[in-house]
Amino acid sequence: MAKRLLQGNEAVLLGAVKAGATYFAGYPISPSSEILMAASVYAAKHPEFRFLQAEDEIASANAIIGASLAGAKSFTATSGPGFSLMQEAIGYAHKLGVPTVFVDVQRVGPATGMPTMPGQGDILQTRYGSSGDYTSIVFYPSSVAECYEYTIQAFNCAEESQSPVVLLSDAFLGHLNEIVDLDTIDVPIVPRTLEPLASGHTRLFSGVATYPDGEPATADADEFIRQYEEAKERRLEVAERYAFYEYGWNKDAETLVIAFGITRRIAQPLAPHFALFRPIRIWPVLQDQLREIAPRYKRLIVIEGSDGQYASVVERVLYRDVHRVPLLGGRMSLEAVREGLDRIGLLPRDLAEATVS
Amino acid sequence: MSYKDKLKTELFPTIWCPGCGIGLIMTQLAMVMDDLGLDKTNTVIVTGIGCTGRMGAYMQFDSVYTLHGRTLPVAEAIKTVRPELNVIVVSGDGDLTSIGGNHLLHAIRRNPSITVLCNNNEIYGLTGGQTGPTTPVGTKTVSSPEGATFSPVNLQGLVNTNGNAFYAKTTVYHQGQMRRAIKEAIEWPGFAFVDITSQCIENNGRRIGFPSANEMLNYYKKEYRQAPPGSTQLAYHQLGIVKGKPAEAEPVAVGAGSKNGSGEA
Repeated sequence: MAKRLLQGNEAVLLGAVKAGATYFAGYPISPSSEILMAASVYAAKHPEFRFLQAEDEIASANAIIGASLAGAKSFTATSGPGFSLMQEAIGYAHKLGVPTVFVDVQRVGPATGMPTMPGQGDILQTRYGSSGDYTSIVFYPSSVAECYEYTIQAFNCAEESQSPVVLLSDAFLGHLNEIVDLDTIDVPIVPRTLEPLASGHTRLFSGVATYPDGEPATADADEFIRQYEEAKERRLEVAERYAFYEYGWNKDAETLVIAFGITRRIAQPLAPHFALFRPIRIWPVLQDQLREIAPRYKRLIVIEGSDGQYASVVERVLYRDVHRVPLLGGRMSLEAVREGLDRIGLLPRDLAEATVS
Repeated sequence: MSYKDKLKTELFPTIWCPGCGIGLIMTQLAMVMDDLGLDKTNTVIVTGIGCTGRMGAYMQFDSVYTLHGRTLPVAEAIKTVRPELNVIVVSGDGDLTSIGGNHLLHAIRRNPSITVLCNNNEIYGLTGGQTGPTTPVGTKTVSSPEGATFSPVNLQGLVNTNGNAFYAKTTVYHQGQMRRAIKEAIEWPGFAFVDITSQCIENNGRRIGFPSANEMLNYYKKEYRQAPPGSTQLAYHQLGIVKGKPAEAEPVAVGAGSKNGSGEA
């Protein structure tokens, strides 16, 4: 038992190390920079752990792909604009089937936006940010201990699915300090699944559509679909084993609140009045769980740090309207949640009367 | 062993146009690999996008066909994780110096021990013959009907901003010199860049007045001259190798534990 005060971003680094990561590349960007800094400090003391502060996020994203192909469990960490720059490489990693982990500590966008303020506006970017079709796997913890735990799960899932996995965080979660005991978090580690480069093969790791022998398949729909379906099937099958979520609070209430990441923590005072569904695996969307749980409730409210990105997904999955409480411009607070609920006429009376602590 | 063992000859003929210079580079690279004992257990090829990017598919090695412009971060990371491997980047001038220009700038600065072979045909060939960062001023292309406006990128000057780096200029006509340059580049302890002038007859040469690839090769024969021995700077159309001072330690940026190298300056 070793209790300690730990920051969300630092917990990500510790989780990565625990998962067996030996390569980090990144570029400084708020509010994710503590991960880069912690990685550099760790690398200085552990020569087997390699660290690169790259020239930009494009280089970082491509470097972790190269490192993974070479045999290292690898990862990067970034935020909004940097995550946008990484999108092409994420598509490339999907195409190659490379296990690696992208950490996105969300801030308020678009563009440079509000660099130090929390947002959750990358939900759809993690799913559709790169061009073409691919099957994303994304996790979003909501505590420091979970930052550690789901970083390990992200690495495990990347290995099993042989695809890039995204770990979402946000400016509040990344900078949150909590007392944790990491020894109580026991996640078995999935070993490397991809045979490293120069193992005696003559493989072609190609972003271009090619046949197994390396010849271009750039005008062969059947071959494209065969490869696409194979990758999709593997990823969906693996993701099923990582279907993490939380269902709780007042399950007998008439209204179900859906919230994730730091928003679930902010919404905690709603507990007596609402049921809670918190997706931890953001993608693939927890369709079966939502379809099972949601019909028990008269109303659904999605509270999130974007203008309805996840709400629109829930509506699509359930064929049903949901109420929206968007927390925009970094105003991610209980006060903003109250105002949002009041605006749609769903603010419980005793919450309206409570004073802000 | 023969250099042919380095090639997937069963995939021949290649996708490259008749008269293309890339095959001449691949053959010399394969010969050097044979001379130096490079094989699929100790060497990785990294290629970019463009006609040159296809080379990895034709060679008996594990090969990474990267996104456009991203060979260098991929190659550098492979070398970092597996320092014992020979990492050879083969790509075109557009891929390496335009879309990949920022990575080139910083790879030169960090000085990883990788070899870069740049097929410099002064044009975007695969996409149909648009102006590239290496196209000479005045050259008419499909995207510069009045002639290219801007000066070509100074690759020698760029590479030599690092005092430890290796820069070689050669052409596909000068096969012996190209082979020496490739060999010395692979053996160089640090970043080595081989700038290989090469003909693209289909999407450049014919448009600028060459009737055939043979005429382009003869032009290289006539125009390019060996630099005097010991040259530290190659003049326009001079062939040669300019070496910096070999780095004494592993470059600092690829391993934070390292204490020496040019990266700390």
